[in-house]
Amino acid sequence: MRLGESAKMQASINVTPLVDVVLVLLIIFMVMAPQMRKGPEVRLPKTEKPSQQGDERGRILVSIDEGGRLWVNDKQVAAEQFGDALRAAVAAESDPKVVIRGDAKLNFRQVRLAMQAVEQAGFRGVGLIAKGRNAGTRGE
Amino acid sequence: MEFNRGDSGSNLQSEINITPLVDVVLVLLIIFMVIVPLLMQGYDVDIPKSTNAAPAQSQESRLILIISATTCGIVKPSAGEGLPTDCRVILGDQKIAATELPARVGDILGSRPPEKRVLFLAADDRLNYEGVLRILDLAKSGVEDLKVEFITAN
Repeated sequence: MRLGESAKMQASINVTPLVDVVLVLLIIFMVMAPQMRKGPEVRLPKTEKPSQQGDERGRILVSIDEGGRLWVNDKQVAAEQFGDALRAAVAAESDPKVVIRGDAKLNFRQVRLAMQAVEQAGFRGVGLIAKGRNAGTRGE
Repeated sequence: MEFNRGDSGSNLQSEINITPLVDVVLVLLIIFMVIVPLLMQGYDVDIPKSTNAAPAQSQESRLILIISATTCGIVKPSAGEGLPTDCRVILGDQKIAATELPARVGDILGSRPPEKRVLFLAADDRLNYEGVLRILDLAKSGVEDLKVEFITAN
């Protein structure tokens, strides 16, 4: 009788450690997700159907915040040093592509000037980042 | 035997079935792992190389969309979705309502081969950036593979 009972107990897999590990992993990802973003907080323009621009890794992120300040990736730069900062960022990437994250409250002028500066730094074409209506991947 | 059966029956009921919990948590984990790479959405735009250089397309076949601050009052940041209903833009040489934009762009550029579907966009400096992108979104929804060139010169 005793032998039979102990054999029954061993037959079920103990999933509690698995659940523990998975929950911890989940918490780690939840905590890390907001911190892995590059650049300042920008309220992106909301539009209907923006096309996919891919992963933000491997892109040079030019951000223009609410006050019109320019950022290249994580660093705020003065307008005069923008070209230099952009070229420095290019050196770190193998296949550089520039995307502009402009705040929805900006005037078009500020974005236009940033686009011109990107062009003058020797890039052809930029991506203007927006937020789709039903996409919550990167916003606020 | 009877004792045994009762024993095993109560054994089964006393264990909490955590398999659905594991399923849900694993799915959540996968969702977060997918979100972390931070996919972006937006619009690819170009800047015309130089207005003086020989244009790739003849002057008359260029389609130019002009958004002026006087005909489309999107100067202030908008609160909600969409565009003001009285927003009018100039496409080619015609002044049209912004809501007609997808249909008109589709009419004009839809018959061209995809590599020649180019829209030149000139927007007033005073306009709100979000409003300009919403008009760009409308124009892009009219035809597939539309290339947008922003006229950025002063």
